[in-house]
Amino acid sequence: MALPITPQKALREWRLYAFIVPSIILVGTFAYFPAASAIYHSFYDWSGGETKQLIGWDNFRRAFGDEVLWGSFVTVSILIVFNLFKLIPSILLAVLIHRIKSDRWQYLYRIMLVVPMIVPSLVTLFIWKFFFDPNLGVLNNVLDATGLKSLLVWLDQLFNWGVFYADVPIGWLSQPELILPALFIWGFPWIGTVGVLIYLAGLQSIGTEIYEAADLDGVGPFKKFIYIELPLILTQVRLSLVLLIIGTLQGYGLQLLLLGESGGPGGRGMVPGLWMYNRAFIAGEFGYACAVGMILFVFILILTLINNKYVRVDK
Amino acid sequence: MSTATPAANGSHKQRDGAKHLIVWLFLLIEVFPLYMMMQVSFKDNASFIQNPWIPTPPYTVTETIRSFDGSVQEKTRAATWAEVFTAVKPSPDRDVITVTKQFDLSVYHVENWGFGIKLIGPYIANTVFVAVTGTIATMFFAILGAYFFARYKMPFSSVLWSLFLLLMLLPGVANIVPLFILLRDLSLLNTLWALIIVGVAGAQVFNIFVLRNFIEDLPKDLFEAAEMDGASHFQQIINIVIPMASPIIGTLAILAFLVKWNDFLLPLIVLRDKELFTLGVGLIYLDGEYVKHWGQIMAAYFIASIPLIIIFLFTMRLFVRGLSAGAIKG
Repeated sequence: MALPITPQKALREWRLYAFIVPSIILVGTFAYFPAASAIYHSFYDWSGGETKQLIGWDNFRRAFGDEVLWGSFVTVSILIVFNLFKLIPSILLAVLIHRIKSDRWQYLYRIMLVVPMIVPSLVTLFIWKFFFDPNLGVLNNVLDATGLKSLLVWLDQLFNWGVFYADVPIGWLSQPELILPALFIWGFPWIGTVGVLIYLAGLQSIGTEIYEAADLDGVGPFKKFIYIELPLILTQVRLSLVLLIIGTLQGYGLQLLLLGESGGPGGRGMVPGLWMYNRAFIAGEFGYACAVGMILFVFILILTLINNKYVRVDK
Repeated sequence: MSTATPAANGSHKQRDGAKHLIVWLFLLIEVFPLYMMMQVSFKDNASFIQNPWIPTPPYTVTETIRSFDGSVQEKTRAATWAEVFTAVKPSPDRDVITVTKQFDLSVYHVENWGFGIKLIGPYIANTVFVAVTGTIATMFFAILGAYFFARYKMPFSSVLWSLFLLLMLLPGVANIVPLFILLRDLSLLNTLWALIIVGVAGAQVFNIFVLRNFIEDLPKDLFEAAEMDGASHFQQIINIVIPMASPIIGTLAILAFLVKWNDFLLPLIVLRDKELFTLGVGLIYLDGEYVKHWGQIMAAYFIASIPLIIIFLFTMRLFVRGLSAGAIKG
């Protein structure tokens, strides 16, 4: 903890305040001011210029009747469920690496985990976009080669989806029905390097004697995971859970680049952040975009408060 | 640390085999995009479509073909792997008269790389400028700020701390529209400085948060001894904080650099002139081209990764260690 300080000494140490001033100015100007400005402008009809008109709650009333906005909230909820599922491989991989007895292999795997990080995330995104390409893409080629395509076609005929046809390449990013599945597959096998390394750090605090005691009691690998390993990384899992939910809720870069400004065919990939971006920079309705941002903010705030109150895990 | 004895190591080796296998499988799929990027970058579209998966063999096949109007043409193409290991024969059904196979390194289109460098070299220069300046400024201000919070309980410091923490709740997404207007009013639109300043401001809270915990855990005697010797606060930062906290500072700096390197939303909104494009915007425009030469695109992608490769080559150990040790605290 920081040392307590007497008022006299604090007066003598006034220069210390100079250390925090740059951060305060930066944060005030580029974080607090825009936030306040967003609240202020959400009550205006404003297209970014000098002229603006106070219209009270009209932007919010319009938002409540905005079907695209509510559709985008449904989409983002589905994406959050997807992403919760995508947390699992990282946890499993961390436990697997942790259970490997040899320290040298553990270290090697850790180093290898970092290797994919050398590819800029934007490049990863474009490579995935290329994987989804109907004719040249890896995904369709794999489906063809493994015969999974015919299984999909068979399922299609069984359930009458009308999505997969035997002789037509699958347009992962161009068929409205396939946008959400494509976003699910995106990033397979869903390993987050930073996540795995953090889980591994948490797992390290388990002593070998606990495992030995468990072995003596005949505890199986699955029970070891539930009773020994999972409780120890629960703090980290909870942290990544919260960051992931909030990140998914406000993220729209992926959708913007993969599907374009209007959320792809049929607008199936439209998320609230993208709708805000779309209204502001495509339609020029800055006031309305601010209101959409406010609604999104309220959702995130509620989630954060719920999280702080109920989901707390004891360290 | 789990330290297994040699005996335990031996007796469990067989059971570990399956684990190694699964881990390798995961890791191989993870690096698959990297592999594709590398091998496609040496191909042109024709050889890529003919053989998308594995590198082209260093052979070309020259065929003399009689067209249906009787004229004779000579065509050279990259060999397939099957042709490398078997003797090539003229096929009568396609009117191929003669076929020859020769060792030829020209199937590797190194010019893709030249093209890639010319295309995104300027973007990389811009991005390096933004990321390096931004990272240094981020760490400088964050260390100062964290020192302020960690050293003494100054009057108002708890109020300021709550103000900083509150910012963690504010979603950045609602800010982007007013931020755009603010940058316009400060006439920072279409400048690289806008990216640097906004990046530094955005990174303050997280870095101060992590660093404060770290500095508070440093032994207090060090600071007191330094103070006795008449060291100023700035000297204490230089001589005590920076050496003692260097692993965590290094890790945070790498993370800050990565964030700035990967940013594309802000550059997309802020930058208009092609000369100022950073990698983010540059790659987006490259992706928007109609006719795609995958080889050139992949070479450009790979070149975009090179600065990160260099950084990770030198800091991988530090990064893995810092993230493994510092994470428990964070």
